[in-house]
Amino acid sequence: MAGNEVNILRAFYEGVAGLASAYRITLKHLFRKPITEQYPEYKRPLPARSRARIILTRDADGDERCVACFLCSAVCPVSCISMESGEREDGRRYAQWFRINFARCIYCGFCEEACPTLAIQLTPDFEFCQRDILKLVYEKEDLLVDHGGKNAEYDFYKHAGVAVKGDKGTHYQEAAPVNIKTNLP
Amino acid sequence: MPRLTIDDIEIEVPHGTKVIDAAERLGIMIPRFCYHRGLGSVGACRMCAVKFLQGPFKGLQMSCMIDAQDGMVISTTDAEALDFRRHVIEWLMLNHPHDCPVCDEGGHCLLQDMTVSGGHGMRRFSGEKRTYRDQYLGELVQHEMNRCIHCYRCVRFYREFAGYRDLGALQIAQKVYFGRLADGPLESPFAGNLVDLCPTGVYTDKPARFRARRWDLERGPSLCIHCSLGCNTVAGARYREVLRQEARLNEEVNGYFICDLGRYGFAYAGHPERPRSPRIGSQAVGWQEAVAVACDRLARLGPRSIACLSSARASVETLGTLKYLSKRVGSDHFVCFYDAAVKFKMGEIVSKLDGRTAVSLRDIEKADLLIGVGADPINAAPMLALAMRQAQRAGAKVVMMDPRPLFLPCDFEHLSVSPELFDVCLSALVKSTFDRERVGKHGEAAVTLYDRMLSCDPLDASVQARLEPLIAVVEGCRRPIIICGSDIAPASSVSFAADVALLMGEVKDQSGVFYVLPGANAYGAALFDAANGSSFESVVQEIEDGAIKALIVAESDPFRYVADRDRLQRALNKLELLLVLDYLPSETVRKAHIFLPTRAIFETRSSFINQEGRLQVAEKIHSPGTPIWQVSNKGHPPRLYGTGICGGEPRAAWRVLQQIAHTLVHSQNEISENDPWPVIGGECAVLARHHQHNGPLHGLRIIPQTSTAAFFDGDLDLQPKQPMDGHLTLLPVVSTFATEELASYSEIIQRVIGSPCAYLHSDDAERCGLLDCDRIRIAVDDGFLEIDLTVSDKMARGFLILPRHSRFEWQKLHCFAQGLPVEKIGNCTP
Repeated sequence: MAGNEVNILRAFYEGVAGLASAYRITLKHLFRKPITEQYPEYKRPLPARSRARIILTRDADGDERCVACFLCSAVCPVSCISMESGEREDGRRYAQWFRINFARCIYCGFCEEACPTLAIQLTPDFEFCQRDILKLVYEKEDLLVDHGGKNAEYDFYKHAGVAVKGDKGTHYQEAAPVNIKTNLP
Repeated sequence: MPRLTIDDIEIEVPHGTKVIDAAERLGIMIPRFCYHRGLGSVGACRMCAVKFLQGPFKGLQMSCMIDAQDGMVISTTDAEALDFRRHVIEWLMLNHPHDCPVCDEGGHCLLQDMTVSGGHGMRRFSGEKRTYRDQYLGELVQHEMNRCIHCYRCVRFYREFAGYRDLGALQIAQKVYFGRLADGPLESPFAGNLVDLCPTGVYTDKPARFRARRWDLERGPSLCIHCSLGCNTVAGARYREVLRQEARLNEEVNGYFICDLGRYGFAYAGHPERPRSPRIGSQAVGWQEAVAVACDRLARLGPRSIACLSSARASVETLGTLKYLSKRVGSDHFVCFYDAAVKFKMGEIVSKLDGRTAVSLRDIEKADLLIGVGADPINAAPMLALAMRQAQRAGAKVVMMDPRPLFLPCDFEHLSVSPELFDVCLSALVKSTFDRERVGKHGEAAVTLYDRMLSCDPLDASVQARLEPLIAVVEGCRRPIIICGSDIAPASSVSFAADVALLMGEVKDQSGVFYVLPGANAYGAALFDAANGSSFESVVQEIEDGAIKALIVAESDPFRYVADRDRLQRALNKLELLLVLDYLPSETVRKAHIFLPTRAIFETRSSFINQEGRLQVAEKIHSPGTPIWQVSNKGHPPRLYGTGICGGEPRAAWRVLQQIAHTLVHSQNEISENDPWPVIGGECAVLARHHQHNGPLHGLRIIPQTSTAAFFDGDLDLQPKQPMDGHLTLLPVVSTFATEELASYSEIIQRVIGSPCAYLHSDDAERCGLLDCDRIRIAVDDGFLEIDLTVSDKMARGFLILPRHSRFEWQKLHCFAQGLPVEKIGNCTP
């Protein structure tokens, strides 16, 4: 019988202690400084790698980085990116047109991961909802920005080895072109 | 047959099969770069290494170099093999540039696939990358030499397989360069195959440069309809436009390759001026109204006052349904060939091609003697020249009888005789091969023909001297094939060629005749057209007489073929109704009273019958519509969307024709709306057995096993004519890429065709006081035709050879036969 009484006493004690600890936390928070931020009155700075509105960046020379390689449109799980590629007079591959339908975009960031030229990047800017859904279809002019985004100095064409932005053999880690008119070593 | 085990699976393969192919039969794709079944093995890339565990070979070996043998046990996934291949790919990637995003091969690149599957990700070597300067290789192929991995596929195809010399390997050791000595367009009409062959992006498709990735294309099996061979292609479309075509393997027809016309001739379907909506006069109207008005006007005309025209570029579906319609409206006239002589020859050809005489392009490659009769393969059917070269590489002798200065990418004996002498020469060449007893098996007519061959007059000494050694070759050969053109060859030669092929079959192991026909579906057109007696001439005559009041033209353009355009124009003006169905912006379409737009081959399922009687099907690739770049003028596509597709109105011609037939004769019960084949079968007994849903992938031969036609009845022309001194006979001939109708609407092809050029024998030129590279003019009815002249001594005397070139109004020349006034006006335009 005695053991039974001990169990009841312990249960009583635990019940009271549990209630009291909850009141203790509540009481403690009553006197703490609040952490709630009043959005939109206060806009909290987000980390640079937050995933929201997509931009097309430029390289250090101010030329558009996108080469319209179709990797972003291929990887996009909701098919919200479409483009057509073309050749500029200087031989550069570029996007004749480039369209992102933000009404469909799920901001997964796959496009940014796939982009070999670091052209397409997601930015922290998430506040651009519209009542008219067509206004969420962004064309190339709307997407292009005049800075290099997260990695401002990278320039794809300095690594690619094609004769754009300098002749063959002038790019990063390249030997001079082979002279095909002589067999001398 | 050897039995071997690959990755624990047993397989039995024919003798001579390489291990790499045996594995492929099991669905095991051993990585490869240099090996290509069409080109054979060289063992250059070391990528196909596998481990031989048991059998005559042991250890790591190249699977492309070893024939499958009994008792072999092979592992493709052995750790040693995997490690070896991983290293190979790493070596190959040492110098490969980092340019996949701007490379058109990306997405269907063998090197990309192998690198990823081999697990190579980071370049460990930190030295400099080798670079090359690129060359301009013409408008069709883009060169980017940095990407090369030195598999040698390109030069093996270009020089060994295709027989052209202007692309080769330069430099030595690890600096080997594949290109030309200097910049310039590739000379071979097969250069486009480099795009398919290159396992990486050294050669890419220039017209489609940067247009799309493989994964974005709507792709499907299609056909080339630019000549009669019916080569198989894969067409790829994006944004309502075909962007590129690749060769599709068909063992019986084109093999692994196609010519540049087949690859780049598609642009007519996306022509900026292509008519895409129905019209009455110049007023665009809806389909219902256009068809209703057309039916109404046709119904008001009595029977026999309607004529139907089509052409050899129309599909079997179009032709069959048009024939059905023409019968339903009581028309006597159904014409597919504008030239009565061609029409007659086509009738002969269709009746004489059967299981005994017809041969495929594959048979040509296996032949040991090829005799050409008035055929110019490079100009009229380029892939035939490639097949002939393969035969010649395997030891075959090639003899060509032709007045033109022929070019072939192989060694051949050229008898430059006039078309009148074809019969005599062929007869002299083959008659000693036969004997009366064997010929007798084919009946009286054959013996009579044989006697006539024996008795034919001797040729002049120079030709005879060249024939003598060839006669021995004909006697010794086992698999002769006669290649016969249908263009300049006279009707007698066309039927004589089949007769000789049939007789040859008696004394040789295998024999046959290979005709080159005047259009992709010329055989099909002849099936529907040849039986009736009407000709285009009689149609024009009856229009002038007022008997014919309406003309239905389905996928045809008489203005392209008829010499007397003024007469044709006057005749058309007399018509009460000119109903045109087409997909080209042709002269006839512009003159149509009612126009109905139809679908091109890429936009509807359609069937074509090639020159050996093989029925092949091209699938629908994409829905019709104006290409997006035309709608948006290369900018962003429209942002607002309608319900219909812009420019998506064209309908399959057979549907429209069937609808007109329904409306006119109110007989809906017997025909299916979605299947043209019951109607086609009703119109052509040969096709009745076939249905659009069956048939093997490589096509179905519809020729009879044994033709019931009368052989040996040709009216042979065995009396050699004396050449008439001082007269020049005019010979209009086919010109590579420049003659064909669809190609003339294809912007890419127009960029690469050369300027027209006439040929004259050096003796004739000397007599006329003309020199090579002179610019000459020829007087025709209304003014002059100007053309550059090339003097050659490799052609027949007494001919002025003129190309039916899209930049040369050859139609005007039909008025002339002999005594041609030719004068020099200056030198060649540079």
